[in-house]
Amino acid sequence: MADKPKLSMYWAAACGGCEIALVNLNEKILDVDAAFDFMFCPCLLDTKKKDIEALPDGAIAITLFNGAIRTAENEEMACLLRKKSQTLIAFGSCSAEGCIPGLANFHTRDDLMKAVYLDNATIDNPGNIIPRPETEVAEGTLQLPAFYDRVRTLAQVTDVDFFIPGCPPEPHQIWNVVSAVIAGAPLPPKGGVLGAGRSAVCEECDRKKEDKKIAKLFRTYELVPGKEACLLEQGLICMGIATRDGCGALCPKVNMPCTGCYGPPEGVLDQGAKMVAALGSIIDIGDTKGLAEEEIFRRIDAVFGSIPDYAGMFYKYSLPGSILKGRIS
Amino acid sequence: MKTGVYFCKCGTNIADKIDAVKIRESLLRQDPGIHFSTVDFMCSEEGKEAVAKDLAENRVERVVISACSPRDHETTFMRVLSKAGLNPYLMQMVNVREQIAWVTEDSGRATDKADRYIRAAVRRVQLHDALQKKEIDICPDVLVIGAGPAGLKAALSIAGSGRKVVLVEKSPVIGGLPVRFEELFPTMECGPCMLEPLLGDVLHGEYAENIELLTMAEVTGVVGSYGNFAAKISQRPRFVDMQVCIGCAECIEPCPVSAKNTFNSGMNDRKAISFPFAGALPNAPFVDEKLCIALQGGECRKCREACPVEGAIIFDDSAKVFERNIGAIIVAVGSDLYDCTKLPQLGYGKLDNIHTSMEFERIMASNGPTDGEIRTTAGNAPASVAIIHCVGSLDPKHKEYCSGVCCQYAFKFNHLIEKKLPGTRVCHFYKELVIPGKDEFGLYHQARSNPQATFVRYDDIQNLSVAGGAEGTIIQYQDNSGKSGSVKADMVILCPAVVPAEDSGRLGTVLEAGQDRAGFFEELHGRLDSAQSKIRGVFLAGTCQSPMDIQKAMNQGMAASGYILSGLVAGRKLEIQPVNAEVDARRCSGCRVCVAVCPYTAISFDPEKKVAVVNDVLCQGCGTCVAACPSAAIKGNHYTNAEILAEIEEVLK
Repeated sequence: MADKPKLSMYWAAACGGCEIALVNLNEKILDVDAAFDFMFCPCLLDTKKKDIEALPDGAIAITLFNGAIRTAENEEMACLLRKKSQTLIAFGSCSAEGCIPGLANFHTRDDLMKAVYLDNATIDNPGNIIPRPETEVAEGTLQLPAFYDRVRTLAQVTDVDFFIPGCPPEPHQIWNVVSAVIAGAPLPPKGGVLGAGRSAVCEECDRKKEDKKIAKLFRTYELVPGKEACLLEQGLICMGIATRDGCGALCPKVNMPCTGCYGPPEGVLDQGAKMVAALGSIIDIGDTKGLAEEEIFRRIDAVFGSIPDYAGMFYKYSLPGSILKGRIS
Repeated sequence: MKTGVYFCKCGTNIADKIDAVKIRESLLRQDPGIHFSTVDFMCSEEGKEAVAKDLAENRVERVVISACSPRDHETTFMRVLSKAGLNPYLMQMVNVREQIAWVTEDSGRATDKADRYIRAAVRRVQLHDALQKKEIDICPDVLVIGAGPAGLKAALSIAGSGRKVVLVEKSPVIGGLPVRFEELFPTMECGPCMLEPLLGDVLHGEYAENIELLTMAEVTGVVGSYGNFAAKISQRPRFVDMQVCIGCAECIEPCPVSAKNTFNSGMNDRKAISFPFAGALPNAPFVDEKLCIALQGGECRKCREACPVEGAIIFDDSAKVFERNIGAIIVAVGSDLYDCTKLPQLGYGKLDNIHTSMEFERIMASNGPTDGEIRTTAGNAPASVAIIHCVGSLDPKHKEYCSGVCCQYAFKFNHLIEKKLPGTRVCHFYKELVIPGKDEFGLYHQARSNPQATFVRYDDIQNLSVAGGAEGTIIQYQDNSGKSGSVKADMVILCPAVVPAEDSGRLGTVLEAGQDRAGFFEELHGRLDSAQSKIRGVFLAGTCQSPMDIQKAMNQGMAASGYILSGLVAGRKLEIQPVNAEVDARRCSGCRVCVAVCPYTAISFDPEKKVAVVNDVLCQGCGTCVAACPSAAIKGNHYTNAEILAEIEEVLK
C-alpha cells in the first residue's frame, strides 16, 4: 500500500457534489483504489488534518481540491495541501472559478451576516448574535475560522498545477484524467485544463445552428423548445456558446439551455462578459439607421429586459474568477 | 527582447510639456534593457535617417515611437522600420502630442500621463507579431450592371483603359431613362441626341471590342471577392440576331399581334416584334415571346418573310447563361418612381388625364405615343395643367427623403407646355422647392415669370385632392397658410418620389451588398466613399445609390471607374493587409455567432468542417467578430486580447 502514489481529495466552500461525482465512477473507483493510495477525503475517510501535517512535503502525489476559498480554514487547508502535494488540481467549478458560493461576492460580508443571522424570517436571534472569529465565554476564548469579505478561487490563494472544470466534473472526464495519469500519459503544461475540451459546448451539441439573429428571449418555463434547432436561436439564453466543452452537451441534449458550469473556453478571460458581448452582437433590433438613441435603447431593453438576473445568468459559475471578481464598491 | 523607445520632441510642441529625462528614468526602472533616444523632429528627413541608423546600430527588435497621431505618421515610421530591416508591425506609436502635450495644462501631469502611455506601449509592442502582407493575383476586368448614364460612362472609361467590360442590361435597349426624354433639364438638351455619342461608342467606338454588351440579361449569381469574382449572367432570348439584323424595321408592320407598349408607359400599342421606340439602340428589334404567334406554336412567319436579311430572325433562339470572371463589379441599375396609387386622393389610375412625370416625358417625346403632342384623352390640347411636386417625397408617411430632381423637370415641363401650347395655364403644387447648382435656376425663373403659371405651397399632400366630374378635373387644396381653394385642370402631372429599382433587392442579395432603409444600395461612407458599397470590390453608380440627376450619375460612374482603375491594375497584385481577423479552426465551436455580425460579409460557415472561415480579401480588420466570438476562437491580428490587456494593465498601474 505504501508503494502506491497517494491521492487526496479535499472540500472547501463546496456542496459535496464533487465527491459524489468521484463516487459516480462506479466500479471504476476500484481501479482508482488499485492505482492509488486514496488516503485523505474528509467526506469519505477518517484521516485528520494532523495526519496530513505529519507527512513530509510533497508526499501526496495528487490532491483534488474542490470548493472555493470562503474562510481562513479553507485557505489554511489549501496552503497545507499545496505544500504536501506534488500536483494540486483545482477540481470542479468552485475551486476553479468560485461557482455558486462566489455569487456572494455581489454582497459584503456584513450584508451576508445580516441576511443570514438577523434579517431572516426563520431566525430567532434575540441577542442579535453574529458569529465572530473569537468569542469570550466563561470557560475561555472560542475560536471560529475567519469569514473573508470575498470568495476567492484556489488559484487566487495558492499555486495550482491543473484545473478540472465542471459543476460537478463529469465522471467520464474524471476517469479520462485518472486513467491518463495511471497510464503515465504526458500532461499539458502547468496551469492547463484537464478533463475538458478547448472549444465551446456547441462543438459537442448536435442541434442545428444557423447564422444567429435573436429578436426575443424566453425564460425556460415560457417555452417548450423544438428538438432540432439551436436553443439560443429559439430565444433561450444557452450559455453553451461561451462555455468550455467536455460535458457532452448534456443539458441542451435534454432541452435545457447550458448554464455555463464548465467555465470559459480556452482563451476567454471572462465568461460573463464574453456572453454579453456575443448576445449584444446577435440581438435583432431591426434597422437602426437614422433612429434616435433613445429608441435604440428602448429596443435593446425590450429584448434584454426579460432577463431577471443578469449577474446570476452570465456569472453563475465564474464571478470570483472573472475580471471584476465581484461587486465594485 | 530589445525594445527601443524613440521620443520626438517635435520642437517645442512636445518638449515644452513632457520631460524626456523623467520618461527615460521611469522606463529604465521598468526595464533596464530599454534603449531610449530623443529626436528633435522625427518626421524630418534627418529624423527618419537618425532613427533608421539607431535601430540598426543598437539591434533594436521592438520599437515604440512617442510622437504625434498615428493618423499623421504611422505609415511614415513603418517605412523607417522596413528600411532598417525590421518588420513594420513590430512598432507601436504613442500619440503624446495631440492626446497629451496639446491638451494638458500642467507639465507634471503631462509627463506622468506620457510615462503611462509609453510604458503601456512597451508592454504591448513586446507582444506584437511580425505580420506579413499577403498578395494575390487579380483579374482587371469589370462587370457593369445597368446600361444607363452611370453604367455607360463607367463601361466606356474602363474599356478605354484596355480592359474587358461585361455590360449587362435588363431591357432590350441601352441608355437608361434619359434616352426616353425629349429634352433634359437644365439646358433643354435633347436626351437621345446627348446620349447618342455615348451609346455609339459603346456599340461601335474605338474601344467597343472591349465591351461585351448583354441586353435582356440579369446577373443571377456572384461568388468570390475583390479581384477575383465569378459572375453568372442569364440572358433571355431576343429571337433577333443583333449581328445580322440591319435595323430596317421591315418586320414590324406585317406582325399581326399588338399589345400595350411598356416603354411608353402603356400609352400606345406595340407589335410582338418591335423596337421599344424609334431610335432605340442597339438597332435591332426584339420579340415578345408571350405575344408572338410563332413562338406560341402558331404558323405565323410574317416578320421573317418581310425581313430582307437571311438569319436575322431566329425563332429557335433560347435563354443563355454566361459565366464571366471579373475583378470588380459596378452596380448601376438605376431607379423607379413611387407608385402613385399609394396616394389615392390624387386619383392616379382612376381618373383620366392624370399622368406620372414618366408618362408625361413620353407624351412630350417626338418618338412617343402621341408623337410629342400634348393631348387629353378626348384629343384636345389642355387649357390648364396642374403639376403636383413632392408626391411621396419629403413625407414621413411615404418616402422621407427629397428626390432632388422633380422640381427641375417640373419647371422643364412648365417650359415645354408654354412652348408647345402657348397660353396654357400651369399650376404648381409644391411642398418645397429645391433647385441647387449653377445652371439650374434658369427654368425656375422662367416658370416664375410665366404669367400663366401659379404656385400653391402645401404642408401635407393630404391637403390636396383630385376629383373628376362633369366640369372636368378639379383639385381641392388647402395651402400652407390654411387657405382653401380649388383649381380646374385638364391634365394633372404627378412628380413621384424616386425609389429603388424593383430588382435592387434581388440583386443586393446576389451581391451581398446591403441596402439602406429606403432600399437604395448602401454606400461605404455617405461623403467620403459614396461610390463604394460596403462589400469590397462592389461599386455603386447612379440612382441605385441615391436619387440624383444625370450629371451626378455620370460623375459617379467615373468615380466608380476611378476606384477600379487605381485599385485593380493588370500585372499588379492585390495587397492584403494583415491587420485582420483569423479563426483558430481547432477552437471554433461552429456556433455561427460571428457570421451575421460582419459588416463586410467576410465570414462564412464551412458546413463540412463546421467552422467559421474569414475571407482575407474582404476582412477590414474591424474586430467586430473578435468581440462577438464567445469562445475567443477569432484573433484580431495586431489587436489581440493579450496586447490590449497588457496595455490597459500598464496604463492603470
